Amino acid sequence: MSSFDRRRFIGSGIAASAAAALGAPLRVFAQSGEIVIGAAPPITGVFAFAGAGLHAGLSDWVEWKNAQGGIAGRKLRYVAEDSGYKVDQSVAIFKKIVAQHRPPLFYGDSTGWAKAIAPEVSQLGSLLATGPSFSSDLADPVKAPYYFMPGPTYSGMIEILLEHVSRSAAGATKPSVAFVYSDTEFGRDPIPAGKAKAAKLGIPVALEIVTKPGAVDVSAEMIKLRRAKPDFVIFHGYVLAPIPEFIRQMREAGLSSRGMGTIYSMDKTTIDQMGATGAGFLGVMPYRYSFDSQKTPTMELIREVGSRKPGSPWQTLFYTQGWLVGMIFDQVIGRTLGAKKELTGPNMKAALESINKWDTGGIFGVPVSMRTHAIPAGRTYLVTGKSIEPASDWITIG
Amino acid sequence: MDWLLLAEFSLVGLLSGGVLALIALGFVLVYKGTRVINFAMGEFMMVGAYLFWTTHVFLKLPWWAALALTLVGIAGLGAVVERFVLRPLAGQPVISIVMATIGLGAVLHGAAEAIWGGANLALPEILPRKPLILGEVLLPGQVLWSFALAVALIAGFTAYFHWSKGGVSMRAAASDPVTAYAMGIDVRRTQRLTWIFAGVTGAVAGIIVASMTSLSPTLGTVALGVLAVIILGGLDSIAGAIIAGLIVGWLESITVAFIGGQARDVVPYLVVLVILMVRPYGLFGTRDIERL
Amino acid sequence: MRIGDFHASYRHDEALFDTRVQRAWLGVLLAALAAFPFVGGSYFVYLACLLGIHLISAAGLNIMTGYTGLISLGHAAFMGVGCYTVAVAEKASIPFYLALPLAGLVSAAIGLVVGIPSLRIKGLYFAVATLAAQFVLGFVFREWESVTGGVRGANVPAASLFGFELAGDQRIYFLIVPLAVVMLLGARNLFRTRVGRAFIAIRDRDISAEVLGISLFHHKLLAFAIGSFYAGVAGGLWGYFFRVATPELFGLPLSVFYLAAIIVGGLGSILGTILGATFMTMVPEVLRALVAWAEALGVQEAGVFLASIRQVVFGLLIVGFLIFEPHGLAEIWRRVRRFFHLWPFRT
Repeated sequence: MSSFDRRRFIGSGIAASAAAALGAPLRVFAQSGEIVIGAAPPITGVFAFAGAGLHAGLSDWVEWKNAQGGIAGRKLRYVAEDSGYKVDQSVAIFKKIVAQHRPPLFYGDSTGWAKAIAPEVSQLGSLLATGPSFSSDLADPVKAPYYFMPGPTYSGMIEILLEHVSRSAAGATKPSVAFVYSDTEFGRDPIPAGKAKAAKLGIPVALEIVTKPGAVDVSAEMIKLRRAKPDFVIFHGYVLAPIPEFIRQMREAGLSSRGMGTIYSMDKTTIDQMGATGAGFLGVMPYRYSFDSQKTPTMELIREVGSRKPGSPWQTLFYTQGWLVGMIFDQVIGRTLGAKKELTGPNMKAALESINKWDTGGIFGVPVSMRTHAIPAGRTYLVTGKSIEPASDWITIG
Repeated sequence: MDWLLLAEFSLVGLLSGGVLALIALGFVLVYKGTRVINFAMGEFMMVGAYLFWTTHVFLKLPWWAALALTLVGIAGLGAVVERFVLRPLAGQPVISIVMATIGLGAVLHGAAEAIWGGANLALPEILPRKPLILGEVLLPGQVLWSFALAVALIAGFTAYFHWSKGGVSMRAAASDPVTAYAMGIDVRRTQRLTWIFAGVTGAVAGIIVASMTSLSPTLGTVALGVLAVIILGGLDSIAGAIIAGLIVGWLESITVAFIGGQARDVVPYLVVLVILMVRPYGLFGTRDIERL
Repeated sequence: MRIGDFHASYRHDEALFDTRVQRAWLGVLLAALAAFPFVGGSYFVYLACLLGIHLISAAGLNIMTGYTGLISLGHAAFMGVGCYTVAVAEKASIPFYLALPLAGLVSAAIGLVVGIPSLRIKGLYFAVATLAAQFVLGFVFREWESVTGGVRGANVPAASLFGFELAGDQRIYFLIVPLAVVMLLGARNLFRTRVGRAFIAIRDRDISAEVLGISLFHHKLLAFAIGSFYAGVAGGLWGYFFRVATPELFGLPLSVFYLAAIIVGGLGSILGTILGATFMTMVPEVLRALVAWAEALGVQEAGVFLASIRQVVFGLLIVGFLIFEPHGLAEIWRRVRRFFHLWPFRT
């Protein structure tokens, strides 16, 4: 992790929130003045590789937006504190920031966090929450009315991959796939939907493998994989380990299966860590990469704003995600205030759901819409020797 | 399921049990020497692997120099831990010792995260990866070699305990510290040596595990699974640790074959619970005789 | 200065709070607790609720570990049992005043099963057996989908009394905190009874206790059941508080947290339980403040190390208390109190 975001992160929220912990309640009510955006990003902990970028993207967006004059003449203020990717921490931070600053918008943490605060968010009815989790359980306007996600659900991502698999088949017999996923909420979330989609497309599911997340020995699992000989192996619920080990052992065993992954395995830094093993890996990515050959206004803006600060992780997809979250917040606030309504949960929810055929200026290659509080679009990329190249056009599902 | 497949799962399982046995050896050494279960064993492994990463990948030293420096570093850590954490707690109840090593683990974990960050690092492949193919059965190279390495290390330690003077005095101090002290054995020195050896075994095991998977501060969780191994084998039996290591390795592989990866960690513990009901001191542990 | 208190009757000697001063302070404390949610900031009310749950659970662990000498590395899993019980009970529309005791009883029943080996195995072997219970129960939480909701977890509706929903921290406070007070008093009382004293005798030397006619089997199991009952009730409250039950909430780190709390506070002491749980709950808050302070003084990047610092401090506290103050905060408290009792005549 670079040093810049650490420094900035400190400036933003921790001082304010800590003053209160010392017993000096700091009450700032943003009635007509500032609009507070609360955040509990995982800047340290096991999700730090992503959290730093998410945090920097959103806080840079707030800074940039303020330099543009804010939204409808109102300035934004970003209040954040590191969650360490621990549910108890992130829930506590959420409670504290909500108690002190009453933010109408909150960018949070894991799926566990989102579920833990969902009852309170529903009850408060005063804010809209989002976070880095794409769990399909959360894309549910009935159960989690004030939660949305800045991209497709994990199920959506798997469906995009399966679409790709289906289209890659020339003949009548479809290639087979294997699902390899971690024994976590993250890993298991899209598997039922994935299997249903595979059945619909006529793709045989050769094998399902559940493993622990992270660094584990996969030799025993490989025995199964070697016998099943799937054409594609879809990995989900991991960041890096044990994907490279699986791929290496697949090669050593003479399998020609292609490895596939979802968003959190697809950042350039993660792909780079795979080294030579990564070549041939194919993954789904909802956003345009910062190094995409096609220049687009938003990506150029991100490059310009991000590269002002030395060491900024602006090239990562996480920064792009943080920035996109800002843009969605902008839409929600702009549409709500534009309709002369107050920033309450139901009003903002209506504004969110009204996002239709929205041009993100290039983060997504196609105009996107909010469907069940998610953005069901993305495209597949192929890792070649040195770079990551688009492997399909933009795919919108559902 | 055909027999060949079963044989393949069994072989891979037994072979990967070698590393478990090596980690278990680290636990048993400490227990035999000082009557402590070192819950920070996993963190010793993790710190060892990070030291190796720092010297080998970051400072670009050749692997043997890096390994030597790592072992020196971890030996120092072992000695410091023995002197400043465990020795002041000598004679305290079991819970104090357990919690002290758990606390130590938290300190090492936090410190490692502060120094090296939480992200995954990659160690170069140290062990040859060329798989051994026996007809339909394929044995991954690194699994074979890690097994061989574990066997060599365990054999070395066993020989040391049996035939060297230092080893004999360690055994003497372990079985009866007071008598050993009276016979002129420096019990404190042997206890320090015990922790140094435990650190060294841990570091080697950590490097093996990290090179086969990846390196992060959570590497130490591997050792939690090994607790099942040492309880199964009996806390104070080296032979028990080896046999139980192989058994648990085999069990894990068979679990993956028949049930799936989600049950991999639990099955060894279930077996341990059953075994403990029948044999309260594991398969080979020494029964404590209590007198009033 | 207090000169001394004289116990003129057996009743007085056995009383829980033996001096008038103590009883007065207790009254003040209860009044303050009742007024707190209306005065304290909402974040502090949240912390108070969390602390109430921690207190109940830590008291249960102290009964098992501190008083009876049975180490449990699986305490969080028993809380999980309570939490899931409440989730299931609410689905069957059982009201909270029945669901909470039920959570305790189910947890106690499972505690009995886990406690059975305690008769044959001791010390470290038993500690690892409870660790096995932690893993096995965690596995059940994840895999028994029809009941627990699997890795996705289960939702818990708000507790409601005659249609009045105890939703939100300020309302649930009046369920958690009084219950915590009652259960702590109950724990304190337990050790004035024969059963409680038997527990202590078993901890100190189980063979001697048996010689004295204490049934080891009976009492060890009872200690485990009572401790698990506390954990189950705490877990049930956890469910009503966070309104969600997921497997990762009740993992080994939480079990270790409670062990740390009773060690820092003082093993075998209810006062220690209170001090320890409070201390361990407040440490992260204080650290956060210190880091902000360091930032203000110009120490760069301190915030990024907050998570690591938190962990290092957590470990150092455990090791430090074990080495330098094995009787925990309760002992420090007693020393301070003694000092002021005699002040200014003896210091």
